[in-house]
Amino acid sequence: MAQIPNLDNSPLNLKSLREQSQKDLVKILKDIRGKKCLVIEPKLGGSLSLIIQTSLLKEYGIELRHLSAEPVQTDCTKVVYLVPSQRDLMKSISSHVHDDISKGLQREYYIYFVPRREIQCERILEEEKVHHLITIGEYPLYIVPVDEDILSFELDLAYKQCQVDGDTGSLWHIAKAIHKLESTFGVIPNVRAKGKASVLVSDILDRMHTEEPMNSSEMALSEINTLILIDREVDMVTPMCSQLTYEGLLDEFLRINNGSVELDSSIMGVQQEGKKMKVPLNSSDKLFKEIRDLNFEVVVQVLRQKATSMKQDYTEMTTTNQTVSELKDFVKKLNSLPEMTRHINLAQHLSTFTSKPSFLAKLDMEHTIIEASSYDICFDYIEEMIHKQEPLVNVLRLLILFSVTNSGLPKKHFDYLRRELLHSYGFEHMATLNNLEKAGLLKKQESKSNWLTVKRALQLVVEDTDTANPNDIAYVFSGYAPLSIRLVQHAVRSGWRAMEEILKLLPGPHTETKRLGFASSPSFATLQGASNGLDKIADGRRSLVLVVFVGGVTFAEIAALRFLSAQEGMAYDLIIGTTKMVNGHSLVETFFETIG
Amino acid sequence: MANVSVAAEWQLLYNRYYRKPELYPLRWKNIDLSRNKVACAPFGGPIAVIRDDSKIVQLYSESALRKLRIFTSSGVLISDTVWKNPGGRLIGMSWTEDQTLICIVQDGTVYRYNIHAELIEPNVTLGKECFEQNVVECIFWGNGVVCLTEGGLLFCFPDFKVMRPCQLAETGAEDLPNCMAVIEPKYTVSGNVEVLVGVGDGILIVDEDGVQRVDGEAVQGPVQKMVVSWDGKYLAIFTHDGRILVTDINFKGVLLEYNCESALPPEQLAWCGLDSVLLYWDDTPLLMVGPRGDPVHFFYDEPLLLIPECDGVRILSNTSLEFLQRVPDSTVSIFKIGSTSPAALLYDALDHFDRRSAKADENLRLIQSSLPEAVEACIDAAGHEFDVSRQRTLLRAASYGQAFCSTFQRDRIQEMCKTLRVLNAVRDPEIGIPLSINQYKLLTPSVLIARLINAHRHLLALRISEYVGMNQEVVIMHWACSKITASLAIPDATLLEILLYKLKLCRGISYAAVAAHADKNGRRKLAAMLVEHEPRSSKQVPLLLSIGEEDTALMKATESGDSDLVYLVLFHIWQKRPPLEFFGMIQARPLPRDLFISYARCYKHEFLKDFFLSTGQLQEVAFLLWKESWELGKNPMASKGSPLHGPRIKLIDKAQHLFAETKEHTFESKAAEEHAKLLRIQHELEVSTKQAIFVDSSISDTIRTCIVLGNHRAAMKVKTEFKVSEKRWYWLKVFALATIRDWEALEKFSKEKRPPIGYRPFVEACVDADEKGEALKYIPKLADLRERAEAYARIGMAKEAADAASQAKDGELLGRLKLTFAQNAAASSLFDTLRDRLSFQGVS
Repeated sequence: MAQIPNLDNSPLNLKSLREQSQKDLVKILKDIRGKKCLVIEPKLGGSLSLIIQTSLLKEYGIELRHLSAEPVQTDCTKVVYLVPSQRDLMKSISSHVHDDISKGLQREYYIYFVPRREIQCERILEEEKVHHLITIGEYPLYIVPVDEDILSFELDLAYKQCQVDGDTGSLWHIAKAIHKLESTFGVIPNVRAKGKASVLVSDILDRMHTEEPMNSSEMALSEINTLILIDREVDMVTPMCSQLTYEGLLDEFLRINNGSVELDSSIMGVQQEGKKMKVPLNSSDKLFKEIRDLNFEVVVQVLRQKATSMKQDYTEMTTTNQTVSELKDFVKKLNSLPEMTRHINLAQHLSTFTSKPSFLAKLDMEHTIIEASSYDICFDYIEEMIHKQEPLVNVLRLLILFSVTNSGLPKKHFDYLRRELLHSYGFEHMATLNNLEKAGLLKKQESKSNWLTVKRALQLVVEDTDTANPNDIAYVFSGYAPLSIRLVQHAVRSGWRAMEEILKLLPGPHTETKRLGFASSPSFATLQGASNGLDKIADGRRSLVLVVFVGGVTFAEIAALRFLSAQEGMAYDLIIGTTKMVNGHSLVETFFETIG
Repeated sequence: MANVSVAAEWQLLYNRYYRKPELYPLRWKNIDLSRNKVACAPFGGPIAVIRDDSKIVQLYSESALRKLRIFTSSGVLISDTVWKNPGGRLIGMSWTEDQTLICIVQDGTVYRYNIHAELIEPNVTLGKECFEQNVVECIFWGNGVVCLTEGGLLFCFPDFKVMRPCQLAETGAEDLPNCMAVIEPKYTVSGNVEVLVGVGDGILIVDEDGVQRVDGEAVQGPVQKMVVSWDGKYLAIFTHDGRILVTDINFKGVLLEYNCESALPPEQLAWCGLDSVLLYWDDTPLLMVGPRGDPVHFFYDEPLLLIPECDGVRILSNTSLEFLQRVPDSTVSIFKIGSTSPAALLYDALDHFDRRSAKADENLRLIQSSLPEAVEACIDAAGHEFDVSRQRTLLRAASYGQAFCSTFQRDRIQEMCKTLRVLNAVRDPEIGIPLSINQYKLLTPSVLIARLINAHRHLLALRISEYVGMNQEVVIMHWACSKITASLAIPDATLLEILLYKLKLCRGISYAAVAAHADKNGRRKLAAMLVEHEPRSSKQVPLLLSIGEEDTALMKATESGDSDLVYLVLFHIWQKRPPLEFFGMIQARPLPRDLFISYARCYKHEFLKDFFLSTGQLQEVAFLLWKESWELGKNPMASKGSPLHGPRIKLIDKAQHLFAETKEHTFESKAAEEHAKLLRIQHELEVSTKQAIFVDSSISDTIRTCIVLGNHRAAMKVKTEFKVSEKRWYWLKVFALATIRDWEALEKFSKEKRPPIGYRPFVEACVDADEKGEALKYIPKLADLRERAEAYARIGMAKEAADAASQAKDGELLGRLKLTFAQNAAASSLFDTLRDRLSFQGVS
């Protein structure tokens, strides 16, 4: 099975989007004649693995390298860098060029920036006096389809840059990406945004529309009915909680990267000692599609059932006489055997983590914090974690959860915990703490927390969640309904207006826009009439809602969204856009800055 | 009959009719073609006239200074200028495809004029050799030229758009060539220009890379003149013995041969479409030769200039401009004397109809099923007419026929009317572009519009583009720019109003481009006003910078939300202004400020410090210093424990002082102080233990390391020095002792006093180290029953765990513990009984 997801079942024609990106890349490579060395920034390489198979690239006379500080070792006279527009990479490239010059190597250099060239990068090349030696181009990859309903803008640092550095460049990229979608699938008539960054994205998007008005004749009837923008800032509680769906847990423990996990082959039952292998995880795997969004407890049961029924079939097969068609059915079932084995292996591996008392204790603590009932127990628990020098990320996740739900910590505790952190993990983490403070994730308490009100109003804690037959999104966290998805649930159902009061309690402004300039479209009248909620598009297809998470989204949240979309009486397909697939770990890690 | 008079003007060449309607009587006065060098642009383009300095001519009442004059095809003066260019005699003059006049003088300098007789800077030259050798002949094609020097070298501009000269291969011939012709790059296999050179007894093909001799039956003996047809497929050759030959471009076969009985080559040799060739000597009639039949003579009593077009030849004389063309088939079928074709009958029917004669009906009946063809022929013939009233009659005939014809495509007439309206509009003598319909189709409407605006015929261009449904942006844009150039006297505000009024006509037009033009014309204020209206920030901002509106640029860039634009402005101001002024500009603007900080943090540390100092953000400076101290530590040159710690600690001290300046940063100040202290202690420890393992580890790690090394006194010292809490101290020491498996010391430690955090750390440490025996020492001491139960469970003692859990009366815990012992049937039943008993209690 390939890592590149099969997009045939996507509610949007994402395949054409991906094919365009493939073509763009191939064109760049073809246009540079002859043999060349392609140097890709590793993270970008990961994203590209969702676009094109690397083996295909080799057909164009390419030696493939990953960008690092080390000089490029190659016989090719043409070196092509494919890199995101990041300042720090420019230094590496400049040093490569200087290194070649000092060795007397004459090479042609090309830099293709993803998704566009930026002055700040070129400026560094100029200062390093290599700009004139390099041919600069662009590879406009704004959107990477991660799965049939997930689009990633591949901006992994977006949240940190916005919150800590005040660098909102990524918001422009998001708007641009959405604008690109609109140029293919039509202008989205309804836009709802919550949170500072979301509103900014919506503003920039509006601006793009006035700057380059889409020709109404060229414009297709909009395939996407509504855009909902949710700023991660609005809900930092959810990503800090441990995800309990199958896919979420895989991500928590094994880290899903660009739709696959890498693990020891021995875990997958392949006897190759010490070798790592990649296991792709996307909806092309039918079994995975079925179980990815289930609570892990249930997954184990489902797998057991399947295995049992298969065993039964097998015994029947060996003991009784079968007709040919029954044989055929059986063989068909056998086809799913590799998938079964794969997920049984994975699930088994996961349960070694989930059965640990420490994991259960952590879950317990997360719920205690969310319940916001016993401050002291939580405080003591976190204090002890620090004293035991448990991994810093784990501590910070819980601490952020604690601080956010309490809207900060009393100054005494704040200073005390920070001091203990610095003492235990080293003073270099001062910068990390400073970043978290700037982002408002770990701060001094200045006002009373309204978490309890929010929790109650949005029914975030659901008692007696039946994870096997869920009737609410709370099943993804075994009893906690993710705040972000509750917002989406309301936004889809009735727009913001019905929940103004609650929205005001959450950080950042909210806006609701109707795009005009849409009058020529025949469906305008029906859309107008649908101000409360959305209507079905006339042809009976379900209309589409694009939910964009500015700052990242977790697999558990996506599971909750898919659950919503699968509910009866829900007239919309949901498609998810995100700056990056994240979890608590990866999100917290972006704030890490060891001084130096 | 009218029909007869039309055909009476035709000339028959073998079986083809030719006609040469007069396009214009020329409006110019006192222009004698024989005294002048004349360059006419194809497609009815302008005519450039300048006195020929290679001829001795008598001056009448005119200045001795030569004047370059540019006329329309109808002889209306567009512009003129005095020719004062150095470089010797004017050798070649021709119009390019985009209507630039190229003038090449003896020394190889190329002067370029636009249609308004304004010199386009810079002048270009063909190169040093040309300068030394003198140019003697130039052969132009639509977009390039080949020049021959006295030394027999060939130079070439392959593309006037690029204006980069190149030299062609040397022919090696001793004599100068008799004649030359050019095959345009677009018709050659190589895509490079090829020159046919008639030298000695034959023809050479010369291009950039080499020379090739031509063989073929057409080439037998010296060639005196040749010319390539406009489609690049045929070549007309005038031979040394006075014959005119036509051969295909690869010299295969002779398609036409005619003996002109003249030893002298004709002065002009031109293709008329692709059907015949015209030869012109100035003392004999104009001769037209076709592939078969007797040639046709046209008599003129004044000098002529032949202007080849794709579908004929325009004949320019001192007084008139005519268009010689093969009569189109549709026209022949209607107007040929005695024609009974359906089209002729239809045309005739209209005539009867107008005269209310019943014969009209009779004619129609005769045509019957051929009516659609007849209508089509009338429409087509109308298209080829220059005479408006005849166009009208033909179209009326077509329309009359169409009325009886159900199957005909009705928009054909409408389309033709549209085309003719455009053609008639530009053919007006005031405009003077006598395009035939074929030329118009080849030229395309957009090029025609470009030519009109180039000639400042904006209104007409606008009307045409509107009429044919093309984007008017080009026209309006050009108009706006021309208007600005021409309106030096109009005040900015007024001009702005005039411009805006028209610019508004076109959605999405680039105001920035117009503004840029205004700025180039020295009207900075107008530019600033115009750029205000540009909706696209990416175009607006760079322009604002170039006109010095930095503040506005920064504002607009920020509004756009595009960080790249903000950086553009930032770098611009950064470079131009002194630092303090720069800081002042960005300080109050969050986005530019943050972007600057973010960039400088990565690349300009010192400058960033200046910024923070100027804004009084001392803590930020402190953070930077702290960071630098860390970088010093990472420096591989600084081996641990080396004197480099001196500067590191100094930096941290400095940071600490800066933090201390503000009340809000006491925590940071304290931390910095502790950090410095820690480094000193670690340094001492490394010296005393002679092990470089302390520096840059945390306080907790330092304590652990000390304990692991058995240096309890040092550990204690660190503990007291940093006021480490008892709680943390216990965790650290317990884990450190477990690491070195010093169970004895651990037990001793547990008995020192009652541990402030209970015995859990001891249990955990032992369990983690898999020392059940040791763990059992502490488990019973656990105060919390649940903890005790779980601890038992972790070391696999089900019964004890169950006891503790039931003591704790915690059903949930029992359930969980049961799961842990799932494999152990005995244990799990134990838990079940206990739980049952519990719930029973709960009920009772």
